[in-house]
Amino acid sequence: MSEISVTGKIARSGATRRETPEERQRKATIQISAGVLLIAAIVAVAFYSQGANPKGAYIWIIGIGLGYVLQRSRFCFTASLRDPILTGSTTLTKAVIIALALSSVAYAALQIKATGMNLETLEVAKLPGWIRDVGIHTVIGGFLFGIGAVLAGGCASGTLMRMGEGFAQQWLSFVFFVVGSVIGSVLLPLMQAAGLYRKGAVYLPQFFGGWVPALIVQFALLATLYVLADWYGKKKSGEL
Amino acid sequence: MDEKKNYPFHELYLKREWSYTTGAVLLTLLAIALVIVTGKAWGVTGSFGMWGGWFLNLFGANVDAWDGFKGTPVSTYNFWMDNTAITDLGIVIGAFLAVLLAAQFKIKKIKNGRQVVAAVIGGLLMGIGARLSLGCNIGALFSGLPAFSLHGWVFFVCIFIGAAVGSQFLKKYFI
Repeated sequence: MSEISVTGKIARSGATRRETPEERQRKATIQISAGVLLIAAIVAVAFYSQGANPKGAYIWIIGIGLGYVLQRSRFCFTASLRDPILTGSTTLTKAVIIALALSSVAYAALQIKATGMNLETLEVAKLPGWIRDVGIHTVIGGFLFGIGAVLAGGCASGTLMRMGEGFAQQWLSFVFFVVGSVIGSVLLPLMQAAGLYRKGAVYLPQFFGGWVPALIVQFALLATLYVLADWYGKKKSGEL
Repeated sequence: MDEKKNYPFHELYLKREWSYTTGAVLLTLLAIALVIVTGKAWGVTGSFGMWGGWFLNLFGANVDAWDGFKGTPVSTYNFWMDNTAITDLGIVIGAFLAVLLAAQFKIKKIKNGRQVVAAVIGGLLMGIGARLSLGCNIGALFSGLPAFSLHGWVFFVCIFIGAAVGSQFLKKYFI
């Protein structure tokens, strides 16, 4: 199992050659100094991007924050789906469910603020969040994505994060991620022609005929998943 | 020498890993901040196809005329006007900053051919899958499911089934 160096978590804990304290100290000084220089460069890019895009600096700094948080918390969507199967651990799965539940609260607020409670006349495409066509293409795409993410040892955000951490494997998978995206962009119209694409998004508050049932269903499902993940994790670790 | 005692600030604020729940809360806050600032939700892979198309365009391929790129011409693509591209670069650099400040940066080389095969197949499948389902784990799952879109839920179920199948491949051929 120790060969799963595709998983950042396991790879990072892998023992390396013993360094003397002096060597370690010097390496740390160099890296932290480089980090401070990098902060200066990030600020410079923030100024540049603000000139190129009216909201550039805000977006850039949020992006830096996302990378920093992903790295510090070892947050990986792929691992949250893979670990229950491979190792039986559901700690990360539960954290992803918490993130989804918190985000649901925020999106509910933003969407109600944007449109009011009237669900009859709203244009789904203009709502905050991505509400997109759902159909057989979602099933095929999600399935392929799931296989790919586990093999490559990182999903979309995880691949970018590991590139920053210095994993050569993710630089390689990123190149093929881009290649695959071009192939996928070309395939999509062909799928549409073949009838493997369903047009039309399903917005749950509209589908269930109101915010109240939609919120109940959303949080009931997330809570069920959380309890299930908690139970499964405890069972696998022998606590139950 | 006990480095923990010598550098308590570094140990506590820059080196100690955060809990997954801390990550969940902070990621949610940042993702929502992005929606409030730009009006659009966080995405990652939307730009990947554009970068590929832009690259092919450099070599004379008339990508703009391809069916899949209609509506999003690559010849006029501007990286700094693409919100997704900016956050993508930010994630790489932000993670790089985090490891540097923690003094944990290390280039991890590819160890064997199996890792190459896994990276190539995995990358291709993710790219194709993301375009077909109109979003990745971020665009469809993290910015779709909480936005009360059914496609987020369907994607969640299917990515999990895919991950289960992928784990079997991983166990069989890559470990």
